Amino acid sequence: MMLDHALTALDALFDPTRLLALFAGMVVGMIFGMLPGLGGVAAVSILLPFIYYLDAYSGLAMLLGAVSVVYTSDTITSVLLGAPGSPASAPTAIEGHALAKEGQAARALGVGFLASMVGGLVGSLVLLFAIPVAGPIVLMLSTPELFMFALVGLFFASSMIGKDLAKGLAAACLGLLLGVVGPAQAAADFRYTFGQVYLLDGFSLTIVALGLFGVAEVISMLASGGGISQSRIEVASWRDGFIDFWRHRWLVFRASLIGVLGGFVPAVGASASTWVAYGHAIRSAKDRSRFGKGEIRGIAASEGANNATVISDLVPTLLFSVPGGPAAAIFLGALFSFGYYPGPRMITQSPDLMFLIVWSVALTSVVGALICFAITPALARLTRIPFAIIAAPLVLIMVVGAYQSTSTMGDIFMLFALGGLGWLMKHGGWPRAPALVGFVLSGPMEQYFWLTNQIHGWSWLMRPGVLIIGSIIVIPLVLSAYRWVRARQQTMNGVVEDVPPPPSETSTSSLGLACVLACLVAVMFVYALWEMMSFNPTSRLMPALAIIPGLPLALWLVIRGVREFQNDFATDGAELKILAALIVYAISVWAIGLTAPTLVLIGWMLWGRAEMRLWTGALYGAVVFAIVWLLFDLLRGDAPSGALISLF
Amino acid sequence: MRTFTKLTATAALILGASLQVQAQSGYFAGKSIDVIVPFGTGGATFVSAKFLEPYFEKHLPGNPQINVIDRPGGGSILGANWFEQNAKADGTTILFTTSSTANPFVLGQKGVEYRLADYRVAYSHPFSGVAYVAPSTGVKSAKDIRNSKTPLLYGGIAAAASDLPGLLSFEVLDLDVRSVLGFNGRGPVRLAFEQGELNIDYQFTPVYLTQVKPMVEAGKAVPVWTGGAMQNGVLKARDPIAPELPSVYEVYEQLNGKAPSGIEWEAFQGIASVTYAYGLTAYMHPDTPQEVLDLFAKAAEAINNDPEFQAESKRVTNGARLNAGPETEAVIKAALKPSDAVKTYLRDLLGNKYGVKF
Repeated sequence: MMLDHALTALDALFDPTRLLALFAGMVVGMIFGMLPGLGGVAAVSILLPFIYYLDAYSGLAMLLGAVSVVYTSDTITSVLLGAPGSPASAPTAIEGHALAKEGQAARALGVGFLASMVGGLVGSLVLLFAIPVAGPIVLMLSTPELFMFALVGLFFASSMIGKDLAKGLAAACLGLLLGVVGPAQAAADFRYTFGQVYLLDGFSLTIVALGLFGVAEVISMLASGGGISQSRIEVASWRDGFIDFWRHRWLVFRASLIGVLGGFVPAVGASASTWVAYGHAIRSAKDRSRFGKGEIRGIAASEGANNATVISDLVPTLLFSVPGGPAAAIFLGALFSFGYYPGPRMITQSPDLMFLIVWSVALTSVVGALICFAITPALARLTRIPFAIIAAPLVLIMVVGAYQSTSTMGDIFMLFALGGLGWLMKHGGWPRAPALVGFVLSGPMEQYFWLTNQIHGWSWLMRPGVLIIGSIIVIPLVLSAYRWVRARQQTMNGVVEDVPPPPSETSTSSLGLACVLACLVAVMFVYALWEMMSFNPTSRLMPALAIIPGLPLALWLVIRGVREFQNDFATDGAELKILAALIVYAISVWAIGLTAPTLVLIGWMLWGRAEMRLWTGALYGAVVFAIVWLLFDLLRGDAPSGALISLF
Repeated sequence: MRTFTKLTATAALILGASLQVQAQSGYFAGKSIDVIVPFGTGGATFVSAKFLEPYFEKHLPGNPQINVIDRPGGGSILGANWFEQNAKADGTTILFTTSSTANPFVLGQKGVEYRLADYRVAYSHPFSGVAYVAPSTGVKSAKDIRNSKTPLLYGGIAAAASDLPGLLSFEVLDLDVRSVLGFNGRGPVRLAFEQGELNIDYQFTPVYLTQVKPMVEAGKAVPVWTGGAMQNGVLKARDPIAPELPSVYEVYEQLNGKAPSGIEWEAFQGIASVTYAYGLTAYMHPDTPQEVLDLFAKAAEAINNDPEFQAESKRVTNGARLNAGPETEAVIKAALKPSDAVKTYLRDLLGNKYGVKF
């Protein structure tokens, strides 16, 4: 019976138009996956108008094709450029780019693609077999269990703090604080919105990820100037990648399962489960010294997880009409438009459609990974061009990507403001991963804690699901406490074990900038504390959780910063100028519209920074400008026009 | 996404589909209409706008190209503010939205720049709401609602947004309902109801029909009442979409033996009529000529009589029809300008009971 439907659906999918639609969607998905800041949501919304010219199966196949490869192809950008291709591949950007700089890009990419493929396949398998049984599982995950999942995420994230404990914790608190901006979950408070409508919804994840990671990378790229960058990225042989993948196959598999669970939970995106999987990779590793400096296990875990999540996001979407993530929400809209109303009746009413979805996703996961293998050598050759030349289109594409959030100037300002923060963190020796994790988890943690406590009082602590999930935290803690005690005894007996240092991001931190950043963050926390006093008591919990440890930590870092202060700003002087230039760019876009400042910025980046020759620079610049306009046009229609004077 | 025209033309070329170009004369010939939806692409408002798109393209004179554009953010305030600044006065820019945009305007919340009550109303699509309870409450129908075996627990998103009419209906009926606000959307609320965490809920009709009806059939939910429909300016009629259920008005009569009145009722009727009876409303620039509004009223009527629309609408919303014309506009505009007494009542209720700050 089931096999029957599966075969009918496969047959339906192998109709030429449908296959063409599927692969057309896949190509769009791959391109958008590679463009930093533009991911599944952008790809799906750009395809949306097209699908209405197709029959239901082709249209849906097209969207699925796009959704299921975004997290495969984003690996390329993350590894080669160090700017996350999409928010959920930030761990890949940290580990993969570090490996690429050591000349091991092929290894990182190979593992990334294979892990993505496995993630996709595990996701599809889960869809296939879980659909009949997943209903009860999703129903078992009530708010207390969801809260516990968020806690597990935070627990895993603690592994990313790095070796400078104070800076890592302060970064995590800063992330939590960024996450509480916007509407409070518990009471009708809008927190830290400064009267700006823009902030009423809080920060967009895309902009935070791009700002913290992407902008800082672009600044370094631009600073590298016209000279050939010190590290050529070679993609020579995939062999190492395959070997590494095979060695870590179970890690990939476990990460995929984490991803699948993340997808079951509505509205917890791929980012959260990716970080949880990455944290799991760290915790399960014996030698943690390479995390943050190029650890293949980090890539294996995060790529396995993010692809599995987007696909299992479809489980709550199809079973309960509750979208699992943003791209799934658009897919749900498309289903409605074709007259499918997902819900409890869906499996019995349209079994063929369910299988069509499974096949589409599985097929594109495999084909997408193969295509990534095929195109990467060519793309890697691009990175032999001076980075400054690649940075020019990159910075503008990030602007377009950020502008997708609300299409207001706020998006662009926020991108560069957070970019400045990310840059300061990178150079001040603050790890950025805990900040992003804090940001991602702060919303769900607060929401589920509040709802749980409101609905269940404290009785939820004894729910079986809560206890099972809680054991994920408690058991490793007990085990490591046991190991610690044993290690101590052994040390006493004269056996010295090599204690692995915790991971950290590689950075040569500037003492001057560290001091500036500490002061800045301290001021933010002081202000946050002051404004917090005006909130309803229930809205204070999460900000307090960020501020109470964050403020003393930041103050301590200020003291440390002042004590260690050195006037070493000159080392980063070149990058500082570029940061300033980008901020000037944002302000002039606001004042006089997109066109003129963008042309000036392109000219400055290509002639000034990349030292291109006059005519090649002009030609290349024109192409970049045209692409940016095309993207604006395709995605949104109207680029920002000037607030003061509108120079077109 | 302004360039749907361009895009779709390209799509037609690429995919070999043939784009039917109906060269006709008429006010909108060769024009395109932007329908601004201040919510995300997957949301109910967006889907509804897409649902109506082909019918307006077919029935408006000149067969304009209609582009549905999403402008999410700020709980719909950003998109509506954008409309305030950019709308054209010739009927080619439409703001298609729900009470989530209307309530902040009525309550005078910060950040609202749009003058909703000055806008012209082109058409509206009812989007009624159905209340249902869990069987564990022991409630079999609306008249038992005060005798619930377990304390009633309602889940919502935010008091001042789309939950407002539901919360006001509890005030009107004088029910002791505890509300837990802070959910992500009505979908997660429904899930929490299914999980047994909540025991009273409101869902909009299309969702009720596709998601809650199966629960009712499985004995996991008991429908109790609807928001009601307008009848001679009073929100008392049964909702044509779920005619088997009483309206809030009727339930009040049943419980109290008299027609509802007073400030609670006035407030409920004002807010609920914008939410349910005129759930999705298409607004236009204040200076839009009457001629254009008449064209839309005629198109809405033609759509209501279109058998294809009737069939589709039957399937999706159990036969909801479009409202348009001066009467519709008058009711909506009246609801957007409540009396000072109602305004004060709402602000006090939201401020004291739900901690909303103005």
